[in-house]
Amino acid sequence: MLVVTCPVCGIEGEEADFHYGGQAHVRRPATTDPVNIKDEEQRDYLFIRHNPKGLHFERWRCDRGCGKWFHAARDTVTMDFKAYYGITEMPPLELQQQAKGTWADYFKSVAKAK
Amino acid sequence: MLEARFESPLAGREVPADTYVSMREISERGMIDLRGSAADRKFMATAKSALGVDLPKQPRTTATWGDVRVFWLSPDQWLITCPRAKAQEMADQLSQDLAGVHSLAINVSDMRAVIRLEGEGVREVVMKGTAIDLTHGDYPPGTVRRMRFAEVAALLHIVEDNVIDIYVFRSFAQYTWDFLRKAARKGTEVRIFPKAG
Repeated sequence: MLVVTCPVCGIEGEEADFHYGGQAHVRRPATTDPVNIKDEEQRDYLFIRHNPKGLHFERWRCDRGCGKWFHAARDTVTMDFKAYYGITEMPPLELQQQAKGTWADYFKSVAKAK
Repeated sequence: MLEARFESPLAGREVPADTYVSMREISERGMIDLRGSAADRKFMATAKSALGVDLPKQPRTTATWGDVRVFWLSPDQWLITCPRAKAQEMADQLSQDLAGVHSLAINVSDMRAVIRLEGEGVREVVMKGTAIDLTHGDYPPGTVRRMRFAEVAALLHIVEDNVIDIYVFRSFAQYTWDFLRKAARKGTEVRIFPKAG
């Protein structure tokens, strides 16, 4: 059983009090450039997800509490939650630096875009 | 001609005599769902002047003014309880006052049923249906929160140390009533928890 803490209302609850919302930070290509969207981009947006062993970033909803969505960083091996952060925010920098593989690439690309 | 008439979802249910905490339905409670941004000063000020009390900003807290009580539900949602007869008028007044402010005030009095539990051991009875530790200091009187109770969505309001109101959607009223009645049956006291304070 996972014990989750909602960063919005602060309640701590078991997994079933929350709702898992899939991978975090999935960018919809049509938002930024709806005209020149490529099939591959749309495919990646809809279907392609990271499946890392270790640090992962997810969306959760405080389903039986305040009802708000939030982000969580979780280790898929130890099941430890590393951090909770707002739904419009990026993970804490030290976690971005700890990320490996596809997540590391993603955070680098976001930093570059800025 | 059919005439629309409110009937409580637990009408006709007898108050059980075989439970160790008393339970009854509160059917005369009116409820208003209020949404708006806590960061919007105009919204907060208008709500205050209409209700007589500041909307609580702290998670899981309530504010009371006379027979009006405001529950914090989320950063942009409050539940206002008042006498049922006043609810429509209050909701209309709120909508009128809040015209032009991004917000919503709606009378939802018929949406939920309220079950009141009273007596020594109410926290224990509620804990039979939820994973929340109500003996914990985090749950003083005045606390309100939504929870998963007996697998259904419910709203918990700790009115006093030994008085708890449970709000459930109307369609779950009978189920919740039956669950509580079983959970509170005499002879099923657990008494392993320290006295809540």
